Amino acid sequence: MELNFSPVHFIAVPLFAAFLLPLLGRVSQKLVTLVPGVVLLYLSVVAITLFPQAYDTPIVEIIAGWRPPFGITLVFGPLAAFLVTMITLIGFVVWLYSYRFIIREPLEKYYMLFMLLIAGSTGIILTGDIFNLFVFLEITAIAAYSLTAFLRDHNGAEAAFKYLLIGSFASAFVLLAIVILYANVGTLNMADIALRMGDVPDKIKLTIMILFIVGLGIEAELFPLNGWAPDAYSQAPSPIGAVFAGIVVKAAVYALMRVLFTLFDLPTSSHFLVVMGTITLLVAEMSAMRQQQIKRMLAFSSIGQMGLVLVAFGLGTKEGIAAALFLMFSHAVIKTMLFFSAGYLVFFSGHKNISDLEGMGREKPWTGFFFSLGALAIIGLPPFSGFWAKFYLLVSAANASHIFLIALILFSAIIEAVYYLRVVGRLYFKKFNDIEIRKTPFTGLLAMGILAIVTLVIGVYPDFIHELVLPAANELLDKAAYLQYAMIGQ
Amino acid sequence: MIYYITSIALILIGMYAVLVKKNLIKMIIGLSLVDGGLHLLFIAIGYVDNKTAPIFSKESLTAADMVDPIPQALVLTAIVIGLAVTAVALAIIIRLYDHHKTLNVNKIRELKW
Amino acid sequence: MRKIITFLFLAILGYYMVNLMNQIPFGEDRMNVGRYYLENTVSETGSVNTVTSIVVSYRGFDTLGEVTVLFLAATGLGAILFDKRGKKRRKQHASSLVRTTSKLLYPLIVLLGAYVFVHGHLTPGGGFQGGAIIATGVLMMYMSYRKFETNHKALTIIESVAGLTFITLGMTGLILGQTFLENFLPLGTPNTLLSAGIIPIIYSAVGFKVGAELTGVLDTLLKTIR
Repeated sequence: MELNFSPVHFIAVPLFAAFLLPLLGRVSQKLVTLVPGVVLLYLSVVAITLFPQAYDTPIVEIIAGWRPPFGITLVFGPLAAFLVTMITLIGFVVWLYSYRFIIREPLEKYYMLFMLLIAGSTGIILTGDIFNLFVFLEITAIAAYSLTAFLRDHNGAEAAFKYLLIGSFASAFVLLAIVILYANVGTLNMADIALRMGDVPDKIKLTIMILFIVGLGIEAELFPLNGWAPDAYSQAPSPIGAVFAGIVVKAAVYALMRVLFTLFDLPTSSHFLVVMGTITLLVAEMSAMRQQQIKRMLAFSSIGQMGLVLVAFGLGTKEGIAAALFLMFSHAVIKTMLFFSAGYLVFFSGHKNISDLEGMGREKPWTGFFFSLGALAIIGLPPFSGFWAKFYLLVSAANASHIFLIALILFSAIIEAVYYLRVVGRLYFKKFNDIEIRKTPFTGLLAMGILAIVTLVIGVYPDFIHELVLPAANELLDKAAYLQYAMIGQ
Repeated sequence: MIYYITSIALILIGMYAVLVKKNLIKMIIGLSLVDGGLHLLFIAIGYVDNKTAPIFSKESLTAADMVDPIPQALVLTAIVIGLAVTAVALAIIIRLYDHHKTLNVNKIRELKW
Repeated sequence: MRKIITFLFLAILGYYMVNLMNQIPFGEDRMNVGRYYLENTVSETGSVNTVTSIVVSYRGFDTLGEVTVLFLAATGLGAILFDKRGKKRRKQHASSLVRTTSKLLYPLIVLLGAYVFVHGHLTPGGGFQGGAIIATGVLMMYMSYRKFETNHKALTIIESVAGLTFITLGMTGLILGQTFLENFLPLGTPNTLLSAGIIPIIYSAVGFKVGAELTGVLDTLLKTIR
């Protein structure tokens, strides 16, 4: 039997599931929790099946039969394949964790929003059209606002409102950028825009670029536009905090990079990226040190890692970008695991503060173990994937002869070590004296276990991911080739 | 040109409302103004002097008589997105009002802003 | 103080933007891809309304996203306002004049909405506009009758079925033709109701969906003050 998979499935199938869930909810609540998992498993299968094909020759999927630049296309090259596979895998693990974690009504709404979030993020990565990118960005953002307020407590609503206000500003900036861009080039396909970008006056080009950086930078947690992130991360349900760190931010970073690398020539923005990434990194790591709440600390750490990713992209070399992608993957896996275990620690102890979690590691050995594992991995100790991410970053910084970057990366690793080990120490050194504690659900442990195995396996065989990442980095750098296949040779 | 200035003015008024006003509802009105201004600006960019709406309702109309249809199609999408954001914002405000019994943003700050 | 700083910031921003827009002359023909759409819409899609053919066919994927955004708003509203108990509001009925008029107008407004979305490919209108008109009619009924109720379950079902229709049509295009959302029906004669392939079907589904969703949003918001 010949399987006829196509990249459209990544968007159409989760949407179909989201539309179907309210009807399924009438039949049985069991189905509502099961179907998203089946969908995500299916998408992972599609992603892995299409993977070799995308690395061989990028798949350009035409929607509604109109060739570019007249219709919308989905571009499924190595970069998109890598990130989409990452998103579907993380999404599946998040579902596994939510399976017993989210037991609050309205269940079907939770899974509908989750499915739409997945569809939106994969849409951002797949689309080859700038306005379509905006639409998917908004789908992701609105789903994220609603999920932040899902617990319906006053802090959740406040965090969601803040996120919504800042996010709406972001989308206004992106839309303004698209309006000015359209006025100058008269087309919306990204490859076509890139071809016509030469005629645009430099001043207008710069304005458009600034608008895009501000707009997409807000979603990508660029300093000083990331005020929404710690609140949203810490007030949303734990699985959703993991989704923000593992999926939403990654899609936003991709969008920013796609725009900067494909629409504009990089040299103008690369220094800017390095500088902003450095500031983001330093400010976030310093803030993380001062946090009392465990999830806020994880959120700031996540912002810091994104800063590191931006620095790596800003290097503008193939190795640098490859290191950035490796770091994105490694961070997605590890930070998801950290959020999962922190979620259980907070849930079982009933406290959000780090100081109240003392001794939890003894009470909940597995959860504590996974948290410690994640902490060691994200600091960058071997034999975890985090080590190789930082190692490749150091090598590429050395090759680009940025000495201060090497110092920066090592310095940030030290700060991370300080605040993560502080938490790990508290988990084990004191005894937890509180009432009885329930058992951790098996699916939750399974979800964390899968992620732990992934980070260990990549830590032992880093070449596997590194070889996948290099062609993806090439795609971002080799603009001519992208234009060639995204326009289907026109 | 007046269309450009009007829409830019709308955008700025909206931003002013979001940044200065203390009332949550007024902030959301500001956001809608920004959206409205952007949509007007987009439509204005697609306008061509002395041309008509892009609908071939009569035989005599040809493609040369029409304004750019793309901004109109895109603004349709953008309006719907703006509406969705407003609806979600209002729902969140209802929740906030329930907990705090006020719409003043200064009195709601429990999290660090 | 804060007002002055904001004002200055916005003044600079405004000056800059006006300057920028000065470089984009108003009312000038600068179509590029748009020209292609205008020239080929009738022969390629059979729809005489170019905006509709762009929204539903050329950029149909955007519309799928747009429908999703609305669906998302309705879902998000439902999630955030779930189990919210309504507050009492004064039982003050509208005058009998208003009530009688809205009762008379209500079916007509719904009919107009349906007309607008069915004729989306012929007249300036379409699924979103038609759906919005229908929701206005429902809003009018809410305003004049305090006791007016819509069947929330039916709304959810309409919403879901319309959304599924959209994606199923898209998938049918993928199976019968080559690509997602590709037209697989005859184009017919332009300027007649039964023309333009799948465009009227999709736009009707969108119309139902938008009508149901906006009504649902109004219903959810109004329930909080019942």
